[in-house]
Amino acid sequence: MGITRYIVRRLMFSVALVLGVSVIIFTLINAIGNPVEILLADRPGITQEAIDAISRYYNLDQPPLIRYFVWLWNVVRGDFGTSIVYNQPVGDMLFTWGLETMKIQIPAILISLVAAIFIAVTAATRQYSRVDFGVMSGALLGQSLPGFFVGIILILVFSYWLGIFPSYGAYSTRRMLMGSGLIDGLWHMVLPVAMLAFFNTATLTLLMRSNMVDVLRHDFIMAARASGLPERRVVYRHAVRNAFIPVLTYLGILFGLMLGTAPVTETVFTWPGLGFLYIQAIQQLDYPVIMGETMIITVMLVTATLLTDIAYVLIDPRIRLE
Amino acid sequence: MTEPGAARPLLDVRDLRVHFFTGAGIVRAVDGVDFAVQPQETLGLVGESGSGKTVTSLTLLRLSPRPARVVGGRIDFEGEDILTKSEKAMTGVRGKRMAMVFQNPAYSLNPIYSIGDQLGEIVRWHEKVGRREGDARVTELLRLVGITDPGARLRQFPHELSGGMKQRVCIARALLCNPALVLADEPTTNLDVTIQAQILDLLLELKDRFRTSMVLVTHDMGVVARMADRITVMYAGRICETADARTIFRSPQHPYTRALLESMPRVDHSYARDDARRLPVIAGRPPNLIEPPTGCRFHPRCPEAGEECRRIMPEPKAIGPGHTVSCLKRGSSGVAA
Ligand SMILES: Nc1ncnc2c1ncn2[C@@H]1O[C@H](COP(=O)(O)OP(=O)(O)O)[C@@H](O)[C@H]1O
Ligand SMILES: [Mg+2]
Repeated sequence: MGITRYIVRRLMFSVALVLGVSVIIFTLINAIGNPVEILLADRPGITQEAIDAISRYYNLDQPPLIRYFVWLWNVVRGDFGTSIVYNQPVGDMLFTWGLETMKIQIPAILISLVAAIFIAVTAATRQYSRVDFGVMSGALLGQSLPGFFVGIILILVFSYWLGIFPSYGAYSTRRMLMGSGLIDGLWHMVLPVAMLAFFNTATLTLLMRSNMVDVLRHDFIMAARASGLPERRVVYRHAVRNAFIPVLTYLGILFGLMLGTAPVTETVFTWPGLGFLYIQAIQQLDYPVIMGETMIITVMLVTATLLTDIAYVLIDPRIRLE
Repeated sequence: MTEPGAARPLLDVRDLRVHFFTGAGIVRAVDGVDFAVQPQETLGLVGESGSGKTVTSLTLLRLSPRPARVVGGRIDFEGEDILTKSEKAMTGVRGKRMAMVFQNPAYSLNPIYSIGDQLGEIVRWHEKVGRREGDARVTELLRLVGITDPGARLRQFPHELSGGMKQRVCIARALLCNPALVLADEPTTNLDVTIQAQILDLLLELKDRFRTSMVLVTHDMGVVARMADRITVMYAGRICETADARTIFRSPQHPYTRALLESMPRVDHSYARDDARRLPVIAGRPPNLIEPPTGCRFHPRCPEAGEECRRIMPEPKAIGPGHTVSCLKRGSSGVAA
């Protein structure tokens, strides 16, 4: 099958999936009840007329089915509605807060990928040695540490004791570090990126090491050695690329879910990202934000999965699209 | 075992010992092995599975897998000791002076690189040539191993080739740099019977054309009968008997060699019917190499074994021109072990 036809078919499937997710999340939010009533219920002095007026303002007086299609039509036109809590257009919020999340997620994924390959190769080529044992235990332990614990340790050591990196926010509120907006921004990124990279590295290292150990057992590795290729080349050109193929799926998921997978990091470092926003939105039943963000995360995941499949075809000649 | 007046051997292995240091104990996979290969000669290395043939071959390239260690012996190849060379010097031997064809062609090509890519890499690495010259060399070799339309095959991937084709590619890979010695480890064991004969004929033809020596490793006496100039019989990490092929088949001396020959299907027997799957096999089990039998390792399965065979490990003894045997019943001396 041609790659274009394959992509078209996958895109159609993706649209159906995104619509399905939107129906589910919409139904769930509706099952909770009228958010305006819930949010304002305990306020003293609020009248039923006021609640009705606000509900009308947010279209909450309409039947759910109508409201869903109104929401859908608006989304198609690029309008995600207005945040109940922030009173700002949800589309703009998703964009600015989403950029902040990507700013820490993308470097974290890339750094951990390079680190994991290097560490995993070191361990796998010395299977069952002390180095291998150390790497395995370190990665297993790292993977099982609670996220906030690692975050707090980073803050304690690097902000509180050493005073090198700021412990919260994406920018300085008063004077910029070193007088430059760019350096100031990068400086704030260091600890949150380190925390995200820590967990990614642990998982990717375990995955990559076991694949490497597996690949290194194959005859074609011995054959490459027997052909006189130096060990470095055998390991990096012949083994790593094979061992990397199963990691692609995991990498696709890391990228695909990145907007929604940093809530703990963003909370610990008060980072103005989508994970932080999502938690807030759920606590305060800011349903336009919940809907919009769920949509963005789903679209990202679906896109990343499609790109992963295409990457497979490019990297592994045995795979044919079907 | 160099005969007087014979040329200096290309490969001379003396008292080679390779042990695996495992949690369960020391596996004496290769435990005192001697053999030599003359220029342009084919030596058949024969023995049951598990007798240490693959470990021996890999050790010749100094690639014995962990946790194996060479614990003794010498490997002289082209007048130099393989075991004391630097790792860097070894990359100049492997694939260039001594190459290997592996047992299972399905697994011995890298699945994610095209044929041209992975064979070209080897030529470029050893011969320091560019891509065009490298590809030209690969194309020529593919043609010589009988692959049609070799130019187009360069762009194909291993999974697009049949098992026989893959093994032809592996043979081409071994011959890319015109090595002096090719180690072929059971090159036909994993192929269809009809393809086996073709591959063996191809090896014979190419060996003559390239004036290469070959160590042909197999558990199949039928294969060596067809291919080998001389034959070395291996059992449980030791050599039982070495002689030219005719002598091995006409007057085998070691009881294990005789047993191997008896277990061979013969054309004059009618194995054609349902007997085919019930070939005579050698009674008893191959020994455990962590605690190998004392004395002669074959004694527990040997019809001729006497009391001394249980105590004394026989040493090779020359009993004719180019014919040595390690058996107390054939006049070997030995030490208590
Ligand atoms: N990785 C390993 N660990 C421990 N023992 C091994 C290992 N590989 C091979 N051996 C031992 O070495 C012996 C010889 O193996 P091998 O050379 O593969 O035999 P052959 O090629 O003659 O069938 C086997 O009996 C096996 O017990
Ligand atoms: Mg073998």
